[in-house]
Amino acid sequence: MAYNAYNPTLESGDQGPQIHIREINDEVLDFVLSNTDLSVANALRRVMIAEVPTIAIDIVQIEKNTSVLADEFLAHRLGLIPLCSSTVDRMKYTRDCNCIQACENCTVELTLDMCCQDDDTMEVTSRNLLSNDPNVVPVLTDDNDPGILIVKLRKGQELKVNCLAKKGVAKEHAKWSPVSAVGFEYDPHNRLRHTQYWVEQDEKEEWPLSHNAPEEPEPKPGEPFDFKAEPNRFYFRVETVGSLRPEEVFLTSISVLQDKLGTMQIKLDDDGGQDEPSDMGYGANDQWENGY
Amino acid sequence: MNAPDFYEMFTLPEGVKKVAVHLDAKQPNAAIFEVQKEDHTLGNTLTKLLKDPRVIFAGYRSPHPLEHKILIRVQTSQETNPTKAVRDAISSLLAELHDLRSRFEFDMARATAEQEARESSQMPYAGTDHHHPYVGDTGVDATIDANVDVDF
Repeated sequence: MAYNAYNPTLESGDQGPQIHIREINDEVLDFVLSNTDLSVANALRRVMIAEVPTIAIDIVQIEKNTSVLADEFLAHRLGLIPLCSSTVDRMKYTRDCNCIQACENCTVELTLDMCCQDDDTMEVTSRNLLSNDPNVVPVLTDDNDPGILIVKLRKGQELKVNCLAKKGVAKEHAKWSPVSAVGFEYDPHNRLRHTQYWVEQDEKEEWPLSHNAPEEPEPKPGEPFDFKAEPNRFYFRVETVGSLRPEEVFLTSISVLQDKLGTMQIKLDDDGGQDEPSDMGYGANDQWENGY
Repeated sequence: MNAPDFYEMFTLPEGVKKVAVHLDAKQPNAAIFEVQKEDHTLGNTLTKLLKDPRVIFAGYRSPHPLEHKILIRVQTSQETNPTKAVRDAISSLLAELHDLRSRFEFDMARATAEQEARESSQMPYAGTDHHHPYVGDTGVDATIDANVDVDF
């Protein structure tokens, strides 16, 4: 039987992945993905965690620091502050940019200049970071949000830093991750036996069912094990850190995956199947050439 | 000190091919695809190849965590060849992702409409618990109507 590449029409009834959003708000996207493969669901999860680009502080120039925290400690804390990144696709990676270290196409500059002159302790927060790009500012949930505490200053202590925020992905450093966590579950009743529970007396009592369990019918007692069954429904819960909206994270993850596959497709078209000298000891092959 | 540079994870060195095909001299219709700067995200999605009845073997490995590449080995029957099989698998995955995107956008509209209806009527949470996975999704209109009828 000839293999038919999957037919990409929306009207194709039951074919293709199905998605149902259970909850969506500013921080969380909860959805059920079904009728697809575990590998696709897992690829989406991996991309959302590690390969969706955001903006984060990458280089910190410290002009003055008389606070109690060491320079590198502060630099690390500044790096972890989420910045609004909805304009990230207009930015370039510095490694792809024509400039040497920083320019407006690949960098946003943030400054912080605080000095405590009162007897009271001063709290320096992410609200005190001033950005040169109004779109790329530290994330605040609302007007009452006090911001993220960076350091506390005593009378006479001073902090003056200059930060360069860059586009990046969490594969390089987790500060670029747009999500704090991606909940991922399938097969809540463990029909497929991908999990083995450690049990003292009774499995049902010791292992309470997850909140996704009502989504699937409960197995009947004594039901035979279906060794051909494959996971089919995946429960996602994407929690963002605020730099991107949850639906942006998901849609970007699809684009990133499409880019990866597309690049491979193009590179295969470029030179795929060409018999090339290989360094792995494999030579030309008659039957291979007949295939063309 | 002697840690590899981060850019090695992303940038292809000059003169290196993104995808190199090494044919197997010992077996017909078998090849190893050496894909630079990719990892399990791409490698594992290509298990899609296994759904193709013409594919005899498909597997991938990442030779070393510091070498940012994967090796995908594919062996097919006489009807096709590994490059074509990989190409088919990729197009089918791309089509699947394309569908997923439009369906997500479609369901987003439904979910946000439901949420707005809930917020405007100040009703207690009454949204998606109508949904049952084995029944068609009919919660949309019902929820909005119910909220409109109640006059707060």
